[in-house]
Amino acid sequence: MESLVYVALFAPFVGSMFAGLFFGNAPRNAITGWVASTLLFVSFLASVALAVHVVHHGSVHVTMMDWISAGDLSIPFGFLVDEVSVTMMVVVTLVSTVVHIYSTGYMDHDKSYNRFFSYLSAFVFSMLILVMSDNFAGLFIGWEGVGVCSWLLVGFWYHKADRPFEENPSISPSWAANEAFIMNRVADLGMLVGIFLIYWNIGSLQYDVVFAAMPNLADGILVAIAIALFIGAMGKSAQFPLHTWLTDAMEGPTPVSALIHAATMVTAGVFLVIRANPLFSLEAVSGVSLFIAALGTFVAFYAASMALIARDIKRIVALSTLSQLGYMFAAAGLGAYWIALFHLAAHAFFKALLFLGAGNVMHAMDDELDIFKMGGLKKAMMGSYIYMGIASVALAGLPIFAGFYSKDAIIETAFNEGTYIIWGILVITAGMTAFYSFRQVFFSFHGEKRYEALGFHPHDMYKYVLVAMAPLAILAISFGWFMDDFKAFITKNLPAYEMSHHTHHWAWLLGLIVVIIAVAGIVIAYKKYAGKGANAWKRDEEFEASFIYKLLENQYYVPKFYDEFLVKPYTIASEKFWAIDKAVVDGSVDLIAKAFYKSGDVSRGMQNGNLSSYLNWMGAGALLLVVAAALATAIG
Amino acid sequence: MSHILSALVFFPALAGILGFVVDKKSAKAYGIAVAAVEFLLSIWLWISFDGSNAGMQFTEYVPIIAQFGISYNLGVDGISLFIVIMATMITLLGIILLREDTPNMKNMIVSLLFLEMTMVGVFVSLDAIVFYLFWELSLVPMLYIIGAWGGPTRVYAAVKFFLYTFAGSLIMLVGLLAMAYLYNLEAGVWSFNILDWYKLQLTADQQFWLFLAFFAGFAIKVPMFPFHTWLPHAHGQAPTIGSVILAAVLLKMGTYGFVRFSLPILPDASVDFTPFIMVLSLIMVVYTAMVAFAQKDMKQVIAYSSVSHMGIIMIGVFAMNAEGLGGSIFLMLSHGIVSGALFMLVGVIYERRGTKLMSEFGGLAATMPIYATVFGVMLMASVGLPLTIGFVGEFLVLLGFYKVSVIGTIIAGSTIIIGSIYMLALFKKSFFGPVTNEKNFGLKDLDARELTALLPLVAIVVWLGVYPKPVLEPIDNSVKKLLVQMEEHAQFPSTKDAIIISKKEAE
Repeated sequence: MESLVYVALFAPFVGSMFAGLFFGNAPRNAITGWVASTLLFVSFLASVALAVHVVHHGSVHVTMMDWISAGDLSIPFGFLVDEVSVTMMVVVTLVSTVVHIYSTGYMDHDKSYNRFFSYLSAFVFSMLILVMSDNFAGLFIGWEGVGVCSWLLVGFWYHKADRPFEENPSISPSWAANEAFIMNRVADLGMLVGIFLIYWNIGSLQYDVVFAAMPNLADGILVAIAIALFIGAMGKSAQFPLHTWLTDAMEGPTPVSALIHAATMVTAGVFLVIRANPLFSLEAVSGVSLFIAALGTFVAFYAASMALIARDIKRIVALSTLSQLGYMFAAAGLGAYWIALFHLAAHAFFKALLFLGAGNVMHAMDDELDIFKMGGLKKAMMGSYIYMGIASVALAGLPIFAGFYSKDAIIETAFNEGTYIIWGILVITAGMTAFYSFRQVFFSFHGEKRYEALGFHPHDMYKYVLVAMAPLAILAISFGWFMDDFKAFITKNLPAYEMSHHTHHWAWLLGLIVVIIAVAGIVIAYKKYAGKGANAWKRDEEFEASFIYKLLENQYYVPKFYDEFLVKPYTIASEKFWAIDKAVVDGSVDLIAKAFYKSGDVSRGMQNGNLSSYLNWMGAGALLLVVAAALATAIG
Repeated sequence: MSHILSALVFFPALAGILGFVVDKKSAKAYGIAVAAVEFLLSIWLWISFDGSNAGMQFTEYVPIIAQFGISYNLGVDGISLFIVIMATMITLLGIILLREDTPNMKNMIVSLLFLEMTMVGVFVSLDAIVFYLFWELSLVPMLYIIGAWGGPTRVYAAVKFFLYTFAGSLIMLVGLLAMAYLYNLEAGVWSFNILDWYKLQLTADQQFWLFLAFFAGFAIKVPMFPFHTWLPHAHGQAPTIGSVILAAVLLKMGTYGFVRFSLPILPDASVDFTPFIMVLSLIMVVYTAMVAFAQKDMKQVIAYSSVSHMGIIMIGVFAMNAEGLGGSIFLMLSHGIVSGALFMLVGVIYERRGTKLMSEFGGLAATMPIYATVFGVMLMASVGLPLTIGFVGEFLVLLGFYKVSVIGTIIAGSTIIIGSIYMLALFKKSFFGPVTNEKNFGLKDLDARELTALLPLVAIVVWLGVYPKPVLEPIDNSVKKLLVQMEEHAQFPSTKDAIIISKKEAE
């Protein structure tokens, strides 16, 4: 089994290095794409084999070699394949394989084709390190690794120039890449502090040792560790207030958005909370856990509200990702870790599908993102329409689709815990989710062909790419059917969260409420945006001028706030410090030097070769000495 | 070979003197050959080094002035071994990177070889007077390199560099003489042997003043805030090779001095001064990182970032535990390699464009992809990405310092944020965006000479990032020994409490 672990882990690395060979100015080489995709598929097969092994024989734990040892600290490269990590591995490698194949088509005409695959496979490698590591430092390797790959991939089209915020809220790919990296680093500092706390209080960073020792620690320390780790999670999973990077990260190529900024990397924070469930389910940190749930709920609603009016097709999907991450945190915060993981997996499938569908639309529309310019694309791109329809239904959470099972379970959990405010907000958000996802579908595929006047000639993606997307579509429909099996499997490792008898009794009604609200959302969207001719959608200038619209359009002015109150003051302070450095710190050094020079210059007058003036100075000196001596005796 | 350290110290200088008779055209080849032999010697030193022995090895002892206890006394342990290897390696790669058309190539080679002697000498000296000689002698070739091959205001920068560090060193010399005097008072004989001084019991008052005297010499060299202002001038004017060696090796003399002198000789004062050092270091980390962000000149960004990272090294030295101190020794190495490489990279673009202003560039990633990739690797090492060399030391230092001060660690830890702010801003301004300046079209990517100098550094950045053990283990052994020595030597219980050799003992 050990060798399978290494195959699963290193196959993407080999793919990345292979593509890297054709770096630099080497011309586009189709082989790189196919080699990288094949190796990813190998990694997927190995992950599935490991999953089967874990089901039958339990977890696999391997230690490859030492990494850092100093003082009492000893960190190995160790990998743990248990129920939780193998779930992540299968999800990550499956989505990655699809996205790799998709990219061979999508990036077909890009001159940096080879570079793209090198980065993309490197990302998967980092992500696998993140989920497979058996200790916090190893997790941090993957944590930072995915951050760098995200930086490289968001800034993939680095040659694009900066544009003002009003024209493009994400300014430019390179700007968005830097923003993502720096904002994540803020969170990473929290994570590091958490690691230090763990080390100095427990003496090890290995999960098994740490979690075994946790119950013996003082409450204050446990709370501090939980807060620090969650700050780390907030960065990667883009929770408020560290969320603005995620929508800006949409500057990256769409397959990147699908893989990294929807299905995998952004779920790392959720994964961390799930992984550290022995900590977060302790009584002492229940306050932190409740905060996690509350923040998640807030973000779910907050992001969904912005998605209601967004015009940029990718931003809509990104905001829905943000919102769904909020759902996952709500579940994890309430203690339903396995439900959070289940939603994580289901979300990975339908959200990747949704993004890839959006990519097809962009591809067809020559990289146009504005849904106001689309419409009636159904005929031209039937395949993509069906996929996006499936994904949106799954996201909206209609029965038999994956999202119905996973999201409903989260909402039910909120009810079960008696946190009715969270429950209420999540229900309302579910309705908003259904509305905005179908708003986007109807805008792009139904209604008048607004694009015709603008001179677009849309055409669907390559056939093989559409075929490659099929596994995601199948899972987006059917993944929920395996909920009970998944539960039986995963609760060997995670706490088995059960609904109370009372909740069970009312489950049918709770589910019905959610479905009714979701359907209502879809119907409203259909009425407003899918009409043709006389019923066709028209811009509502009055609404667009309203305060609420402006507020949502400007993302509640949070990016503006960051710019005004963080970026600008930092820049000004830096300039000021530099001026101080030159004038005061360096200036005083020069002043001392000049004082020496000057005093020499002045006293040079004494050496004038005039004997009588020498005698005068001698007399003065002697007098001074006498006075000094007299004073010294007087003072005694 | 029992005289390997003497060979390491004096071979480059002797070869340098012979270099005067070498033909002008073959001066560079001669320099590479000598530096390569020296480098191989230092590798041999590593191979013959016993990693499990924490004490001094390859010691040589020849009395010079016996009645004053001055002797030619050399030795190397896990702390100094790798700094020596780094010094010889950086010198070799720096010489390789020299352009064929450097004016007065022969003088340059001789200066560099002479400088190499002083650098190796400082790190292997166990006698305070010999240490001091090499310490001061190292100023001369660097003064010459900046003053002769530097930019427009090179003379001002060179003189400032010389006088500033020299002034500090003189105070340090007073401290060293006072140490020998105090030793004489106590033991009845003179001794400048550092290892003898480790045993000397000093009063709190004596330790206080001696610490300050040493501090003057070391802090200016590091350079610690607010004594850092000579460095931007020196870097601004120095030729590439000068900056590379200055940043990679010469600054390490300061932090090494703290480790070799201040900590073990004055343990109580070192612990007492920790808050003071911490405050200065934290200002160094944050303030200079912000100043780095404000720079317009690429080289100045690297220069200030260098100061900022030295701040992290400083807090590691004063963490008083094996994690922090070992981490800071490792960080000295990684900082040497990464900042050396970054200065080389700035030199590469300066040679092509004759400017270092970031506003002159933009879009270099498209025109020089290999250059951009190497720069990117070094950038990531500089911001401390795991699996690069930069992470190991930084992580250990912050981990170790956490025990000293939580708030201090969080402030110092902000280096991972503000460090990435100025580095990513530099990268964005220079490498990303469209190519707007016509002069940047058709720039030549790295050539064979540049790749020969840079690729070994890239390899080391990855190798020691993934597998630091071969280096970290000997460092860890010697660091633990040093801490044990400190603890035994310390007089006050509070000092003994502050020094943590093993965590288990702390509980």
